[in-house]
Amino acid sequence: MTAATARLIALEERGGSRLTAAALIGPATILVALGMLLPLAILFRYSLNEFIPTKKQMVEAVTYANYVKFFTDAYYTNILIRTLRVASLVTAICLVMAFPLAYVLARTQSRHKNLLIMLVVLPLFVGNAVRAAGWMTLFGSKGFINSTLMALGLIDQPLEIMFTEAAVIIGITAVNLPFMVLSLQSVIEGIDRNVEEAAFSLGASPLWTFIRVLWPLALPGVIAGSILTFILGMNAYATPVLLGGPKFQMMGPLVYGQFAGQSNWPFGGAISFILMTATLVLTVAANLLVQRRYRR
Amino acid sequence: MTHETTKITRRGALAGAAAVAGLAALPASAQANKRIVVGTWGGDYSRLLAKNIETPLLAPKGWEIVKDEAGDPPRRAKMKAEQTLRRGTSDIQGLSAANMFEMNEAGILETIDYSKIPNAVNLLPDMKYAYGVGHIYSGKVVLYNPKLTAKPTGFADTLDPKHGNKLGIIDIQYQYTMMAAGLASGGSMKNYEPGKERLLACRKAGARIYPTNEALAAALKNEEIALCIMWKARAVQWQNAGINVETIAPKEGVPLYISGFAMPKNAPNKEGAYAYLDAMLAPSAQENFAIDMGYNPTVKNAKVAADLQKRIGFTPEEERRLVDLDYGYLASNDTAFKDWWDKTLKG
Repeated sequence: MTAATARLIALEERGGSRLTAAALIGPATILVALGMLLPLAILFRYSLNEFIPTKKQMVEAVTYANYVKFFTDAYYTNILIRTLRVASLVTAICLVMAFPLAYVLARTQSRHKNLLIMLVVLPLFVGNAVRAAGWMTLFGSKGFINSTLMALGLIDQPLEIMFTEAAVIIGITAVNLPFMVLSLQSVIEGIDRNVEEAAFSLGASPLWTFIRVLWPLALPGVIAGSILTFILGMNAYATPVLLGGPKFQMMGPLVYGQFAGQSNWPFGGAISFILMTATLVLTVAANLLVQRRYRR
Repeated sequence: MTHETTKITRRGALAGAAAVAGLAALPASAQANKRIVVGTWGGDYSRLLAKNIETPLLAPKGWEIVKDEAGDPPRRAKMKAEQTLRRGTSDIQGLSAANMFEMNEAGILETIDYSKIPNAVNLLPDMKYAYGVGHIYSGKVVLYNPKLTAKPTGFADTLDPKHGNKLGIIDIQYQYTMMAAGLASGGSMKNYEPGKERLLACRKAGARIYPTNEALAAALKNEEIALCIMWKARAVQWQNAGINVETIAPKEGVPLYISGFAMPKNAPNKEGAYAYLDAMLAPSAQENFAIDMGYNPTVKNAKVAADLQKRIGFTPEEERRLVDLDYGYLASNDTAFKDWWDKTLKG
């Protein structure tokens, strides 16, 4: 044993391990905290400023008028509600679609398992905007879907798919699905196969096994995947802009429009905080609810 | 390997590396005043700036060009964010005349010293602003597909509910669309208000709103729409791309679209910015932009071939109808216009 190791052990014995841990995580924590909290603090300060529309200038003030403006104008509250609706729907659809896939991936004995996981991750190699462009060629009035349906004689007028909420939901679901699959797959992999077999041997049907055994045990993965998907859905930008079109507004593009398009930093800041708070509150609340429900 | 067999010690290597790094930094600092940072839109425009201005005119004189490519909204936001800095990060910024006006009102732009731009003696008077220089211009005209609709006469005939869902409108062009509707309904460059009713009627009749110029071009191509209003230069580009459109200069007036360059007050290299402004007004650069992009030169001494002039330019009779915007009116009402557009027209 070297003198240094001996010293370390002695230090630890004196309760120094806590100090060492603090010293190790300190620098990174400070960096992240400064890099994240400082801009947030500045943004929050901006959100309390005034904006003179005729000059497009921000004026120093301390007012909550920007927040009042958001919540008293149905146009903006509708955008928040729409964003919540899309993010929740996308999360639910992702969960339903991802669970079976994640289960198969987790349980497969195939030697191509890594390849299968790579296939799930593969879409993430392509940017959101590029993928949206792909959907556009499918959804357009002369796109693949409409031209196929018209050629088959099933419709005589093209369906309006582009620039609808459905198009946005499909687009965001496709973007978020891999995150849900991976979150679920890693947790399901950790569930002992014997537990399921025990349930079967005790006479449980597959559905009952899923409800009473698999689902509660997979809950950490469900929560992690849902949080990830919900947050990504709430903050989606490229997909709603490209597939939702000009009449479909969500919070992300609204923030950008206020900052960059209108130079209205105070209102943009306020919308950012409303979006952030809504996401945070809902995520925490859902998490608590689910945990309480399954605490037994 | 041991210390005995090599002469390179760790300390020696570090000192050597430091020396190399120091030497590498020397030419960089010597070149610093020959670097021009250009804020511009990406894509074709940036490529053509390099092809027609930077490579042939600035590089031979030793200028090094660095591009900050982005749409104008993020670049304007950046200029505002950098306003209080002593040294900004860009020397020159490509902006529309309306945006240059707005940036100047916010106190961000340097007043141009035209004595430092020899080529500016040939600049058309309309393209010369105290705070910026026009680089290219075009006019807002009506585009129509002769196969699908009769030749319109002007904005009133185009922004008309009779076209139903064959009329296309571009979301990001809300300003010019409201202006054109205003002119069509008896308004003026100082009053777009009369056009609102007209636009609402068109919307009710089924007019389609597209997010970008490119989305509208696709709709023209696949004949989803039959007519729209757009820059004449874009019509030329789209005709070149095989889209079946013709143009007419509206009888109510042809609103000018001027795109130019301006210099932030805190530009680190103002000499470089002036060199850029001068090079972009050189006749050869201006002529090539007319050929490559379909925009009109902003200088008198650029020569455009007669057949090209016929496609991109305006006849003397049409030129009399060219009308510049009231940028003050536009800037002070822009927030209200966007609000109305988003909440009432699209809502």
